[in-house]
Amino acid sequence: MNHVSSRTPRFVRIGALVGVAFLALPIVGLLKRVAWSTLWTQLTDVATRDALRISLYASICATVLALVLGLPLAWCLARMQFKGRRFVRALVLLPMVIPPVVGGVALLGAYGKSNGLLGGLLNSLFGIQLTYSLWGVIVAEAFVALPFLVLSLEGGLRSIDAKYEESAAVMGATDLTRFTRVTLPLLKPSLVAGLMLAWARALGEFGATITFAGNIQGRTQTAPLAVYTMLESNPEGAYALSFLLVAVSVGVLVGLRDRWLGGGSQ
Amino acid sequence: MISLHGTVEAGSFSREFSIDVGNEVVGMFGANGSGKTSVLRTIAGLCPLGNGELKLNGEVVDAPAKPVFVLPEMRHIGMVFQDHSLFPFMTALDNAAFPLQMRGMKRTAAQKLAKEMLEQFGVANVGQQMATALSGGQSQRVAIVRALIGSPKAVLLDEPLSAIDEESREGVRNHIREHLIRLGVSAIVVSHDRTELDHLCTRIENYTR
Repeated sequence: MNHVSSRTPRFVRIGALVGVAFLALPIVGLLKRVAWSTLWTQLTDVATRDALRISLYASICATVLALVLGLPLAWCLARMQFKGRRFVRALVLLPMVIPPVVGGVALLGAYGKSNGLLGGLLNSLFGIQLTYSLWGVIVAEAFVALPFLVLSLEGGLRSIDAKYEESAAVMGATDLTRFTRVTLPLLKPSLVAGLMLAWARALGEFGATITFAGNIQGRTQTAPLAVYTMLESNPEGAYALSFLLVAVSVGVLVGLRDRWLGGGSQ
Repeated sequence: MISLHGTVEAGSFSREFSIDVGNEVVGMFGANGSGKTSVLRTIAGLCPLGNGELKLNGEVVDAPAKPVFVLPEMRHIGMVFQDHSLFPFMTALDNAAFPLQMRGMKRTAAQKLAKEMLEQFGVANVGQQMATALSGGQSQRVAIVRALIGSPKAVLLDEPLSAIDEESREGVRNHIREHLIRLGVSAIVVSHDRTELDHLCTRIENYTR
């Protein structure tokens, strides 16, 4: 290795240390505020349990919805040449970069009960109302989680060597069999990573959910919304729930360590 | 019977070929870039013909002008790929049994047959190993088993002995020959090694660039 380029200047090290402190300090502050003696009581409180139940259910459903919509999208982006491909990719990435509240407003424009593009139709034809309902939470979470899944799957599909699918075809595997028996096993690492990222994003969703589905305890109030609500009325509960959400996020990072953190060897 | 008369195309490569193979083993010998592998890929259905006609056992399977194109999975061909292309997430045994399962055989029965054939090719002992753990020679033997096992209508072998060590080559070659005689189908072997083709083939076609 080049001796000069491998030497790290002192100011860079100091900058990196400040960066680490900047990221770690809020977590330490949060942990310091957690009332450990009443943690269990706080986490089993009715409002907290409701929020956790809704969060878990909605985030899992949102991840499944994101998978159903995201896999075909990722496939087309990775393997098809079509007009408007760049536009579709930009559209897929959009929920990642727009403010979540704006995402919620956009969802109201599309699925709002009275004047949404599709919401009015869904309501009058099938009596389905997405706004201020659990389904609204699921749609809002799927909207923001979808890009994470598509990006991961698209990268995975691109990295699969065509030779495996080709040899499977020569051996008699049809399109569907090739997909289930060859492509999916090869895609598994990207699929798992994408699902975990999408689920974590859905679990932590706040802005789009509160704008589109509201903050109704027992119906649409998810864990992040409960944290926000409890900060004034029950700060201890808010810190307890926040700690749980941080723990889940750390769990996701540990799950993804092989992919993003160099296999835990560093 | 394989009958290919037309333009083989692969990326920027394009060349006219006129090949007729009866129930025999034909060797294709020639320099890199002469299109030998592309011919095999065309016959297997992985690259469509530019123009002309390809027949397998009298049936037109590729003719752009008509237009006819039979998908690779419907051609029932056994093929050894140059890099073996074993599925890395399967054991050697599952790899070898794959073509039988694709033709509708139950997993247990397919594995039983695959095990017998792996034994003939001297790799039954690595049947339970993942494909990624096999040596080059072992991987190539499993690829040969995979090409011959499903009673294919034609067999295409791209450098089938390149990774097998000198001492074992004759044995593997004899097994391939026995199986091809038993199958009684058209077979094409592509190789850089003229001696290997002399031993394995009934006739050899020479292709220069």
